[in-house]
Amino acid sequence: MADLAIYYDSSKCTGCKGCMVACKTWNNLPSPIELNSQPYSGTYQNPVDLNENTRTIITYKERKRENAYGIDWAFGSRRCMHCTDAACVKVCPSGCLYHDDNGFVVMDIDKCIGCQYCRAACPFDVPRHTGVNVRGADIKIDKCDACATRVAHGMKPACVTTCQPNALDFGPREEMLTRAHERVEWLHKRGYADARVYGETEAGGTHVIMVLKYDISQYDLPENPNTNKGAASNVMKPLTALAAVGIVGGLGITYARAHGYHRDHMAYDTKTHDVVDMDKDEVERHIDKEAGER
Amino acid sequence: MSAKMEQKEQRYIQRHSMQTRITHDIVAVACIWLTFSGLFVFIPALASAFPDFTRAMRVSHRIVGCILIITPIVSAILSPRGVGRFFKKYFTKWTPEDKEFTKKFVPYMLNARNVHMPDQDEVKSGQRFADGLMVVGVLLMAISGLVLWLGTSVWRVSGDTASVMRTIHDICFLILVIFVVAHVYLGAGIFEPYKGTGKLMWGNGQVSESNALYHWGFWARKELEKGDKVLLKDENDQVVARGKEAVDLGNTYIEEKLKQKAPLKQE
Repeated sequence: MADLAIYYDSSKCTGCKGCMVACKTWNNLPSPIELNSQPYSGTYQNPVDLNENTRTIITYKERKRENAYGIDWAFGSRRCMHCTDAACVKVCPSGCLYHDDNGFVVMDIDKCIGCQYCRAACPFDVPRHTGVNVRGADIKIDKCDACATRVAHGMKPACVTTCQPNALDFGPREEMLTRAHERVEWLHKRGYADARVYGETEAGGTHVIMVLKYDISQYDLPENPNTNKGAASNVMKPLTALAAVGIVGGLGITYARAHGYHRDHMAYDTKTHDVVDMDKDEVERHIDKEAGER
Repeated sequence: MSAKMEQKEQRYIQRHSMQTRITHDIVAVACIWLTFSGLFVFIPALASAFPDFTRAMRVSHRIVGCILIITPIVSAILSPRGVGRFFKKYFTKWTPEDKEFTKKFVPYMLNARNVHMPDQDEVKSGQRFADGLMVVGVLLMAISGLVLWLGTSVWRVSGDTASVMRTIHDICFLILVIFVVAHVYLGAGIFEPYKGTGKLMWGNGQVSESNALYHWGFWARKELEKGDKVLLKDENDQVVARGKEAVDLGNTYIEEKLKQKAPLKQE
């Protein structure tokens, strides 16, 4: 099956947050409803960042409009990028995170052990966890799974279906890429020189294809996502196994070589300063105290 | 109490105090449990096969980790002078015998029958190195473990910090696997040439005169001459004499045994 992808065009996005609401609705993710319970981000970006009940947010970067009155916004989408070279999948020790047939990074929530390695390894700082506490027994990952249950039934992800300006779309990855390149070309012609496609090659190619209208600094995306943050552990594991086998083997040789070895019973006469072999009844050596021997 | 030492009797030296033994044993059991519980996260096949059990193991890893950290701290508070003695024993000048021991260690382990070690002080150079690495390893384990635990629950560390801490945790685990396995094998004292060392930490903390002379010659002779930590015990492990008296009874026994043999030699 050909890989699928979510398409996001920041130049069409109006920052309506419909996708955020659709995501919460479909995935049963609650929102805090107490007055002023969310910290203020300084812009209309709310919540400030992804959290254990928010799998996608629209980022708002404000700047002064050039040669005109008012401000410009750069809207961006922050969500799981569904990397081909997914750092989280590489570090997940329990097999909870894996790629589905469409190329999306999905999770088998029953297998999550709450180690949060995925969060540490993700170059996009995406995975969040519910039930985080000091005891740590009930921690579970929460992140975008591209609405795997919907896709399995031939539907588009919830966010895509609700996007009113058609900034979001869903389809075969190749098609989405072609469309993104066409759109970037169009933007270049319109004078948006920094416009670019994001996700074609980043992190081994992501399954969220983005059209960035402005320079990448206007979006919460790394220029070169490092998908090897947790890789050291994958080297250490076989090394440790090797060390364990080595030391047990080495000690096995020691055991075999010393098997049956009997040490004579020794004693030390503190008066005569003789070390005596009590099995042979012989003085083995004399400690010459006057010569400074100990 | 007999005025004479019997053939079945033997002198012992009290090497470790009750507090040292209890501290060591709690830490040792904690380390074994931490290894066992840690393996469930470390080995993907285990975590994947038993995710619920792995979650329970992770909780126990935290509790036992706390025990590992608190035990030496409590012990140090109970006996600050013991901490001083510990450092004095471990940070000592390298004697020529220490250097010889280090050079001979591998050949000795492979051929203890024929390769013989020089006399050693209270803590052998090899012990100082291995135990020192274990102390440093556990210390780094504790620090990185605390950051990984609290940094993902009480506060939030960055992904980079967590990755670095996990790598430290992994590297220290590798070091500890090597040195703890060797330490357990040698310290259990079941096999030669280390037979009889098991009781030092898991029993009464006493070492027989013969074993003491074999492993820590300088220290054994010094303690026998001082006498305050020497015990004379019969084959049922009952103390027959203590201190100076035990030393003297032993000396007389050695001298008489040698005398009995002497006439045979002259024939």
